[in-house]
Amino acid sequence: MAKRLVLLLVVLLSVGLVFSAPCFAKMKVAFALLWTIDDMGWTTAHYRGIQYLKKELGDKVEVSYTEKVLAANAEQVLRGYAKAGYKIIFATTFEHMDPCLIVARDFPNVIFEHCSGYKKNDTNMGNYFVRMYQAEYLAGYMAGLMGYKNVGTVATQPIPEPIRGINAFTIGLKKGLKEAHVPYNPQKVNTVVWLKSWRDATNETLLAETLASRGHDLIRQMADTPDSSIAACRKGVPAVGYGIDVSAQAPCALVSTEWNWGVYYVDTVKRVLAGTWKPAADWWGFDKKGIKLSPFNASVPEKVRKKVLAEKAFLEKGIDNIFAGPIKDQSGRIRIPEGRKASDQDLLTMRWLVQGVSGKIPD
Amino acid sequence: MESGALFVAKISITSSMAVLYATIGEIFAERSGVLNLGVEGMMLMGALSGFATVHATHSLWLGVGVAMAIGGVFALIHGFFAITLKVNQVVSGLALTLFGIGLSDFLGRPLIGKVSVKFEPVSLYPLYKIPVLGDVFFSHSLLVYPAYLLVPAAYLFLYRTRYGLELRSVGENPSAADTVGIAVARLRYCYTFLGGVLAGLGGAYLSLAYTPGWKEQMTGGQGWIAIALVIFAMWDPLRAAGGAILFGFINAFQFYCQAAGITVVPGYILRMLPYLFTIGVLVIITRWEAARKRVGAPSALGIAFEREE
Repeated sequence: MAKRLVLLLVVLLSVGLVFSAPCFAKMKVAFALLWTIDDMGWTTAHYRGIQYLKKELGDKVEVSYTEKVLAANAEQVLRGYAKAGYKIIFATTFEHMDPCLIVARDFPNVIFEHCSGYKKNDTNMGNYFVRMYQAEYLAGYMAGLMGYKNVGTVATQPIPEPIRGINAFTIGLKKGLKEAHVPYNPQKVNTVVWLKSWRDATNETLLAETLASRGHDLIRQMADTPDSSIAACRKGVPAVGYGIDVSAQAPCALVSTEWNWGVYYVDTVKRVLAGTWKPAADWWGFDKKGIKLSPFNASVPEKVRKKVLAEKAFLEKGIDNIFAGPIKDQSGRIRIPEGRKASDQDLLTMRWLVQGVSGKIPD
Repeated sequence: MESGALFVAKISITSSMAVLYATIGEIFAERSGVLNLGVEGMMLMGALSGFATVHATHSLWLGVGVAMAIGGVFALIHGFFAITLKVNQVVSGLALTLFGIGLSDFLGRPLIGKVSVKFEPVSLYPLYKIPVLGDVFFSHSLLVYPAYLLVPAAYLFLYRTRYGLELRSVGENPSAADTVGIAVARLRYCYTFLGGVLAGLGGAYLSLAYTPGWKEQMTGGQGWIAIALVIFAMWDPLRAAGGAILFGFINAFQFYCQAAGITVVPGYILRMLPYLFTIGVLVIITRWEAARKRVGAPSALGIAFEREE
């Protein structure tokens, strides 16, 4: 008798669970984050994306995240989420790439999205990034229109992402200078120094001060803390912020180029909810609002703003001619001939600097 | 636009002050026989508490005072383990660093990205009018100038006063010091505390003057550089000042070369030099007894004192 009762209970419970689960349980979404949510750089930008996701789809999904997921424990964290029944897992830094691939293979029913890498699979792991270079181009264009012709850039690691950004900034800068009829040295409008780190506040300060003391008239921050912009302000030199809007810490920042991950997260989750998600390599620009430009500093003239926003409107329509030829590299050699445009593949593997950049890519 | 050499000289000083304070502090602690590897943790706690105080009260000097006090209190934790409980000092010091990193990360979270008042450069009248030197040495923030007094004072204290002699004797031969009536444990506590106070000041220099604001692990390993510098300086405050500025100079110089587009020596090699030199000193003092005596690694460094009754 007792046995039967137990059996009946089990059957009832299972049936109940199976049918009620989709009605009550929200889909679980997890994020593995590189650093802390208030690091004022990379992870803060992702966290803002998570907040946006919660705001937009909080009634349909349950969101969790883990901070400081470094390479060594990435696999364990991702596996933990997969085992705990999470349906979508975002791995948000380059070093999560290989662990993500391994865990994705073991959990074919879980969807993985990896940020800033180049690996994916054909079943359940895609990757995504956004076209920060478009925002950098606009920031450079603004600086050029305002007549800054001797920019100093505090660059991070010498890999294609920052290199592409420096090139786009410089292309925009030269375009702006030409339109503003400001004479400039075509070999040297943007001097680049390398931090060899993504964040290192002390040396960011040191480098920004070094550039300011050498007479550079604008400091371009590319590292993950606002410190190079702060140091520029202290030296009385304007700055262009990076990653998030830095104007609260560095009031001299003319504009900041910002990540805007939230729209991507909402879109991906919606696709998964609708059952239309497929592994892809997404690279979103202004056309899909993957990046944004912060509000301008009060000192940016109205005429300049108008021109920059007009250029932005083109990018929003998906018209991206930033790397359209002819484009020469530092030695004067034509890298992109007239009538051609750099392909995404060219951009993703870029290892050369355009004419106008002073400074080498370190070995 | 200032001249390159002047600028590099000046920024060598501004960028090395935190390390300098921490190094002088660690020299005092190690001279008394207490090896404190918790410098990084103490600096971080100093940086955080200093900034938190300034953020709450807008009083810069109160912030500096709190940073020094917290640094000292942290050092006393190590003192308790190393001197009273006589545990392994390496383990206790490492624990202090890990504790300091974790606690400052945790407590500092609401402060990240906050802006508050900071030490601005103040030209020291009339010294800044001295050609060349004035600009290099006397146009810094007010947290830099005390170092100019601290370094010679530490030197004179160590080598020219009775207290300095007692301090050194405690680190060299605590039994003998005890025999002549010096309170070994009390002195070790005092100088460990002083070491923490100066490490806290170094931290405050970072969060209130050099890279104002709080960021997780903002010392970025400067505490470890300080510990290396103590050996590099062979436990001598004057050499420590030279060493700290040399560290600062090498770093500033390689960035300057990048900015100016000059290639002299690859930056990697330049950055390695101070550490190679530190290893060199370590080899020398462990290999040759005579050298060990001359350069003055305290004989009882890292060894707990057991009183023979």
